[in-house]
Amino acid sequence: MSTPPTPTTDPTTDATTGAAARKRVLLHVGTPKTGTSYLQDVLFRNREVLRGHGILYPADRFDGHFLAALDLMRLTWGGLETQAVGAWDRLAEQVRAWPGTSIISHEILSTASPTQVDRALTSFGEGVEVHVIVSVRDLVRQVPAEWQENVKHRSLVSYAHFLEMIRDPARDTRIGSWFWGAQEIPDILDRWGAILPPEQVHLVTVPRPGAAPDELWRRFSHAFGLDGIDLDLTPERANPSLGVPETALLRLVNKRVTPVVDPPDYRPLVRELLAHQTLSRRTGSARLGLPPDTHEWVQELSRSWVAEVEKRGYDVVGDLADLVGAPSGTFVDPDTAPAEDLLPAALDAITALLVEGSRLREVEANLARELEETRHELVLARRSNAERAVQALEARPAGRRALGIYRRVRGRHY
Amino acid sequence: MSHAATAPGAVTPGAARAWGWVAHLRDGGTTPWVAWTVEAQPSGRVLPGAQQLELLRRLNLAASARPLAPGLADRVLTAAAPGRGKPDLALVGVAGTGYGPLPVDPANLPADELVRVATSVLAEDVVRLGVPRERRGLPRPRPHRHRVAGDPVLATAAREALGPRRLGAGPMVVIGAPLDQMLADVWTRRCFERGSGAWLEWLRFWQQRGQLPPRVDLPAVADRHAGSPGGVTVVLDPTALPDALGVRRVPAARRPGADAAELARRIATVVGLLVPPDERARLMSRTVWPRIPLTSMPPVSVPDEHREWVTRAAERMTRRLRRAGYPVVGDPAAVAPVLTGQTPAPERPDAAVLELAVRMLVDEDWTKETR
Repeated sequence: MSTPPTPTTDPTTDATTGAAARKRVLLHVGTPKTGTSYLQDVLFRNREVLRGHGILYPADRFDGHFLAALDLMRLTWGGLETQAVGAWDRLAEQVRAWPGTSIISHEILSTASPTQVDRALTSFGEGVEVHVIVSVRDLVRQVPAEWQENVKHRSLVSYAHFLEMIRDPARDTRIGSWFWGAQEIPDILDRWGAILPPEQVHLVTVPRPGAAPDELWRRFSHAFGLDGIDLDLTPERANPSLGVPETALLRLVNKRVTPVVDPPDYRPLVRELLAHQTLSRRTGSARLGLPPDTHEWVQELSRSWVAEVEKRGYDVVGDLADLVGAPSGTFVDPDTAPAEDLLPAALDAITALLVEGSRLREVEANLARELEETRHELVLARRSNAERAVQALEARPAGRRALGIYRRVRGRHY
Repeated sequence: MSHAATAPGAVTPGAARAWGWVAHLRDGGTTPWVAWTVEAQPSGRVLPGAQQLELLRRLNLAASARPLAPGLADRVLTAAAPGRGKPDLALVGVAGTGYGPLPVDPANLPADELVRVATSVLAEDVVRLGVPRERRGLPRPRPHRHRVAGDPVLATAAREALGPRRLGAGPMVVIGAPLDQMLADVWTRRCFERGSGAWLEWLRFWQQRGQLPPRVDLPAVADRHAGSPGGVTVVLDPTALPDALGVRRVPAARRPGADAAELARRIATVVGLLVPPDERARLMSRTVWPRIPLTSMPPVSVPDEHREWVTRAAERMTRRLRRAGYPVVGDPAAVAPVLTGQTPAPERPDAAVLELAVRMLVDEDWTKETR
């Protein structure tokens, strides 16, 4: 474990030596499902504190770096990409203007092509010391987590077919191609670390199941040089996992809804409301693992990666042995989950949707009322002087009498 | 050495051959990778991907020894392939670390992969062209103005006939046609606005929803405008349209082929990554729509498996139009789908889309003309 990048109290001056601080970029490029949402949430919420310590986390919204990554990689993401126009250049501009350490973090950067990596590194300008940080987790957990993530993004693919696609060495499918782009650690390091000395490439391993709850944060904190800074670590965002029947149910829901629900509606209703806010709360159900033969295969593959990474001499925060994963346990197949296992989750889902439907009806009624009031005010505002005078007179008995006389004189009855 | 990082001074024979091929392609060469033998020193930090290199070779082939536009070769070689397709691929024969996707012979890449790269470059061209300024024409004293809605391809032709000075607050003219044609027209026009799902995927969406796209649900459009000043007229007889609009003639509707619409759809996706949504719609409808080169492929058409629900929807529309309280010019039954008699466009016209994309990159005439 090498010395982590040291934070300074002044962006231009090293706290201990008083010398001019090095201009540095800590570029965290994934991988997905390694506690990245939590890390990004802590960095975002504490960005003012970090700034006071000479560390820039340049984001004005939580998903700012996600948008920048979409822009850099020209990726579409269910319509979100329309908010990403020019986001990378704006991010890079802030990094160039900051004299101290900047942190950029998003896990989809793991899939960047060599040309995009080159563009990203070039965009920080000359004389910047770039550190690439890759957080990694064992494939025993990553493979099922990626399938679940696919299901939460409208996928209809069964678990068996998913495993078949990722085991195909040709990687000809979109799923196989994306999975390895985001998970093949030596390849990610080839793309991102090729032009950096190994001591500027840091691997943070996700601890094995059963480790202390704060162990991953301790590793992140060390890798990013955040030790000693008083940060608010309250977890506010997470990307929770689903159980076997819940994921199986969601896949069945996808079969029905993906042809009729557009991605901009799917995201809040299915991914957020059903998956994250409802089904993920059912923590008592079986967790998804790997079938025995796949388990053996991924562990063998992981051992070969560990040997490769050791050979390259990168800085490792944690233990490379974490990458091999836990021994095989009982496998519950989501493709054959019986209907009675899905029923309780389905009832929770229906309840959540009805509650949401009621809330939206209330919102609709409020909006209709506000619209009606606004229309009324508009009518009042557009009254002519004559109309104003008539309405003012009609409001008082004397006025009504005067109006009656006027109408009789003019021969009018209204 | 991976294709990812070919640092100068550390070049394997395979990588040197690849850099030689890069130089050859930059010079307008057309030799396929498998036949290439000459080595060269690296001319950059990163060896371009197989998709970018093969697209440049196809451009050189199409240019037939004419030089490409200045800077085009560099733009192609550094273009990001947008979306979630394959990552940039290494060339077969260039030794790597053994990780990453399998290296390929670029001549065997599917057309779709080359189109991805091409759309990235074409989208930048579209943004560079910008939105043309609207020609206002001669001012007219008290012009009769109309608004136009309905089939978006026919409505575009009608707006062209009216010109900007006679378009605006006034009677609403809702233009209809056989429903299968209106569906094809909505999808085609969407490709030149915000982009869309693929044709059959889009059609299935409406089938499963049991609804029609709002623009061609003619009774709903007419109902929305029935109470507006000037009233609403639904026109289903094309010969009556000039009268309804108060013009001498309406130009023939321009319907890009399925290949052109598909290319526009994919360009629109990338343009959406480069400019805000409203500007994308303006660029696609006012810059790309009038300029995209004509092709011999017919427009998309409703396939047989969709005829039944489209026919039922048309019958419902006919009944609602007959009951309407507003004027309907032409027979309400005219919205019934018709068999065009044309050979339908292929479901995935990838090769034709690539051919058109290459044509647009090599021959820049489309950037200069507005028909």
